[in-house]
Amino acid sequence: MEKNYAKPGEYKVIDLLAVAAAREVNDGEVVFAGTGLPMLAIMLAQKTTAPNSYLIYEAGTIDGKSLHLPASVGDARCVYQAAVASGLYDVFGQLQRGRIDLGYLGGAEIDMYGNVNTTVIGDYTKPQIRFPGSGGNPDINSMARRTVFIMVQEKRRFREKVDYITSPGWRVRKWPGGQMVSRQEAFGKTFRGGPSAVISNMAVFRFDEETGLMYLDTVHPGYTVNDVLNNVDFQLDVSRVKGETEPPTHEELHILYHEVDPEGIFLP
Amino acid sequence: MGKRITVQEAVGMINDGDMITFSGFTIWRRPMAVIYEIIRQRKQNLHLIEVNSGTHGDMLVGAGCVKVWESCWIGHELFGKLGGNLDRKVRNGEVITEDYSHHQMLLRMAAGALGIPYIPTWASRGTDILNPEYDMLSKHAMRDGSNPNIPRQKAQWVEDPFFEEGTLIHVPAARPNICIAHVQQVGEDGTVRVWGQKYADEEAIKAADKVIIVAEEVVPEEYLRREPSQNIIPPYLVDAIVQQPWGAHPTGNFGCYEVDGPFVRDFYNKTRTQEGFDAWAEEWIFGVPDFDAYLEKLGYKRLQSLKANSAYKYSNEAKRGSR
Repeated sequence: MEKNYAKPGEYKVIDLLAVAAAREVNDGEVVFAGTGLPMLAIMLAQKTTAPNSYLIYEAGTIDGKSLHLPASVGDARCVYQAAVASGLYDVFGQLQRGRIDLGYLGGAEIDMYGNVNTTVIGDYTKPQIRFPGSGGNPDINSMARRTVFIMVQEKRRFREKVDYITSPGWRVRKWPGGQMVSRQEAFGKTFRGGPSAVISNMAVFRFDEETGLMYLDTVHPGYTVNDVLNNVDFQLDVSRVKGETEPPTHEELHILYHEVDPEGIFLP
Repeated sequence: MGKRITVQEAVGMINDGDMITFSGFTIWRRPMAVIYEIIRQRKQNLHLIEVNSGTHGDMLVGAGCVKVWESCWIGHELFGKLGGNLDRKVRNGEVITEDYSHHQMLLRMAAGALGIPYIPTWASRGTDILNPEYDMLSKHAMRDGSNPNIPRQKAQWVEDPFFEEGTLIHVPAARPNICIAHVQQVGEDGTVRVWGQKYADEEAIKAADKVIIVAEEVVPEEYLRREPSQNIIPPYLVDAIVQQPWGAHPTGNFGCYEVDGPFVRDFYNKTRTQEGFDAWAEEWIFGVPDFDAYLEKLGYKRLQSLKANSAYKYSNEAKRGSR
């Protein structure tokens, strides 16, 4: 079927983020989603390409069929028609058990290996800014089979090295020594996977399987490779760019605005 | 019987310096009536140990009640992107933070509930959460055994001796002196019923030495015992009971009321500075004698607009977004 794509100007950046994130879900997968864009993405995916995927919220609901979009994962709206409404012990246990295929995450800063900081800017012991902290970000990112990050594209956010590794990328600290090693080495037999995509307001990035380094995959319509390079603070590999990110279709936009978030909670 | 007390008496059971934990999740089902009264009674040097924090935690921090914040997250979800008071107090060196991950905090509370000193996990390997340089309770010489509820180390690493799967993280049990939980219903003797998501309430209640249950309503035990599978805590684990309708406001409560988003956003916006916090607290905490007066100040109309529909379990009429 011919896809009826929207043109730049007919959609907002946040719409493209939701749509690009939704396309990361494979049908039948079990998905852990946090508040905001991840909710839009998985709910859109369930209404389009991944109708048999399962949605788990960190606060303890499994496969809810919300009639109204929850404003946070603790929301009463999460529970409607859920298979199970339990708690953190249940859902984090399933995560550690290896039952979660995909997790959506965000962060204040990301480095070239996909390490993410949501804790502090500056020295942890004497920070310049104290952010909310890890939440379940590092748990999901260390125990789900795959994670997708949604980030704001700015030089100060795409850094060679983050101030604090809240959430582990492809080159991480191996404790108790603390040396930087590949994720595979650090996690050993219980390695399951890791960050598979970073979706920003300008582009989609992925990671080299050998080196763990981030590379540019696609650039959103209306942006250039140079725009991206100007907003990254490390040597970004742009040799593998596939072209433009697939824009939202009119059908996807209709579902987002009329079925997923008609009240305008995350899509103003 | 005889467990019924007032909010004021409940706070009287909390000692300065106590390690304390709460029910709920971020901006849902927090025991706010008690939080306000803790601030009113000017409790000091509290050691918050929480699976996650939220509006209530940031309020206690802003009021100067907190010495240590040990958790994984603080903020107000959609209504304030970070814990503004914790941010300020940490920058000024007035509060000690000890960060674990969400699953680690949950497991710590579960270990406390199980009566074991520590528990192994794979969660959050590879991160600075495990960096010994960032063990803040050690840096402040608080792991010297003088407080028996503070573990000697932040984390340890142990080889799996059974399946040889690798090096696990051992996290120490959380052992709070007291848990204050806000729930929908409690029996006259203390049987606890929670509707909707249970969050980490069961672990938090069972880990604590003392438990105070604040409920929207106290109901006959006989009523709760018609469906025992719906209950999570038996009476002998509960030390005191408080009945306080709307007692979680401005946080939300499944089946009872919405999060009061504008109220939380207003708190966040006005309390980024200490002067701002003090003025806000003067208006909403010190300026009213008790929680009933606070509810009167909020007014019938505002509360009614938050009230949950009994079929949906939330308000289907509250205006939430831009459309």
